[in-house]
Amino acid sequence: MENKILDILEDVCGTDEIKEDRDINLFKSGLLDSLGVTALLVELDEEMGVHIAPTEITRFDIETPNKIIEYIAKRG
Amino acid sequence: MDIVGMIDKHGIENGDKAALRYRDTALTYRELREKSDALASYIIDMLGRDKTPVVVYGHKQNEMIICILACTKSGHPYIPIDTSFPEERVREIVESSRAKILFNVEGMEFNFGDLVLNNLVINNNEQIKAIIDCYLGKRPGKSYTVGLDDTYYILYTSGSTGKPKGVQITLSCMESFLKWYINISRLDNMENLVFMNQVSYSFDVSVMDIYVSLISGATLFTIDKYMISDFKELFYYFSISNIDVWVSTPSMMEMCLIDENFNHKLLPNLKMMVFAGEVLTNSSVLKLFDRFKDIKIINGYGPTEATVLVTAAHIDKTMAENINPLPIGCPIDSCRVYIADPNGNEVLEGEKGEIIILGDSVSSGYYGNEKMSEKSFFASYIGGCKKRGYKTGDEGYIKDGLVFYCGRMDFQVKLNGFRIELGDIEHNLRKIDFIKNAVVLPVSKNGKVQYLVAFVTLDKKINEKDFVIGQDIKNELKRYVPDYMIPRKIVIKEYFDVNVNGKIDRKALMGDIE
Repeated sequence: MENKILDILEDVCGTDEIKEDRDINLFKSGLLDSLGVTALLVELDEEMGVHIAPTEITRFDIETPNKIIEYIAKRG
Repeated sequence: MDIVGMIDKHGIENGDKAALRYRDTALTYRELREKSDALASYIIDMLGRDKTPVVVYGHKQNEMIICILACTKSGHPYIPIDTSFPEERVREIVESSRAKILFNVEGMEFNFGDLVLNNLVINNNEQIKAIIDCYLGKRPGKSYTVGLDDTYYILYTSGSTGKPKGVQITLSCMESFLKWYINISRLDNMENLVFMNQVSYSFDVSVMDIYVSLISGATLFTIDKYMISDFKELFYYFSISNIDVWVSTPSMMEMCLIDENFNHKLLPNLKMMVFAGEVLTNSSVLKLFDRFKDIKIINGYGPTEATVLVTAAHIDKTMAENINPLPIGCPIDSCRVYIADPNGNEVLEGEKGEIIILGDSVSSGYYGNEKMSEKSFFASYIGGCKKRGYKTGDEGYIKDGLVFYCGRMDFQVKLNGFRIELGDIEHNLRKIDFIKNAVVLPVSKNGKVQYLVAFVTLDKKINEKDFVIGQDIKNELKRYVPDYMIPRKIVIKEYFDVNVNGKIDRKALMGDIE
């Protein structure tokens, strides 16, 4: 599951750096913006059946690759 | 059409009514009238009748609207610049506009004194408030108000040469648009409605909600960029908004649709949704009809150069189920909208060609840029009357009286509703000292641009990971262009392949990323 999430994130962010540095801040580094978050949530839903409502999360919850993985794992 | 007179009337007759609601503040029609009168009197004191443009820099603060109305009342075109524009670009605009006053509503720290000709930089909201206090009670003479052939506003759009172009819209353009649009978007009891005010003031789609709401004596409910970056906050504000009329780009709406709570329970009053600035897809419309009962949906089309919208269509469920792509609608009554071949001759119905607009909505040209104006604007006759014409560069066709949009004929793209010339980004990338050459391409999915990729070659070898260089490039580029123009992906190439014409092979690069 972790790899699948990282693949999706790589696709959305357009760089494999997110696999090398999993604590990189996606917003501060300009890899994700509002449009990117939307794309990420749509991909997670379509590719993995993980449905996350945008109102359920804050930027803090998904600001690094590790946090995204953790968040999805916690939801089960 | 006396736009400011119509707005002021509400300030006299219904002064306590909120013209704007923004977070925990409200601006009443009385305050709007008195404060814009005061500020207009100040502008007249400083500039007299010289009709030079005034720059208004900020985001969605209530004061933005006060400044805008003050410009109109004092006879000066306003140039609204959103905070998404970086200092360098604001500087270019201020310099080329030869503005003598800059209202820095956002209070950003600029050092522009040298550029603003009269050195009148009103640096923050406190200074604006102090001026208003000082002039409160003064009323500008009616004769100062922007006249029919005067420029009402100037909007700067991305230009392919890397310099933004200022589109001049006259009061007569505004009249042409507003008379038609108010008629086709009319609802019952207009004065009791709440209009969503989300679109950036640098983007003319915002003209639709601002002026229709203010002229009708209705209330604008402001959504800012901070709310959009935090859905919890955004949906909280939606829930207390009582929005009746929604105006946005399709992208903004699609973002909201991802959350299932975006439905009639969140916006129980919603009666109409108006979309413009991008392609509206059938699937989004069908989802909207599922989530909201009895709403009207309008799909509009128009370049900044022809004042907000020149075609519009009411989209119903049957249409969304059966006609793909959706039409952009019937032309505005004051203009002729037709399709032309490369020689400028009108084509037969159903044939594709360039969308041409001829009539009163067409801009008087790019500000101080005759060369660019000559390329895109022309004059022609309708029934013996000379009218302004604009070649849009958009491809389309007409079928059964309805206009359909196919896409751009050049290197302009629409991303998240923003109009971007790829050449603009390429020119600015080349300003970065270690970049030799740059090509920017859009990546699309389902016919819609998702993000931009920049391919660059470097002047010197840099001993860093490509990712780090890419981040450096993004940071450098941020100095020159707005955030929405920063490519998400940067690919560093050793060299560019050229095609048979000796030009960089864009198609080959496209293949690289697929």
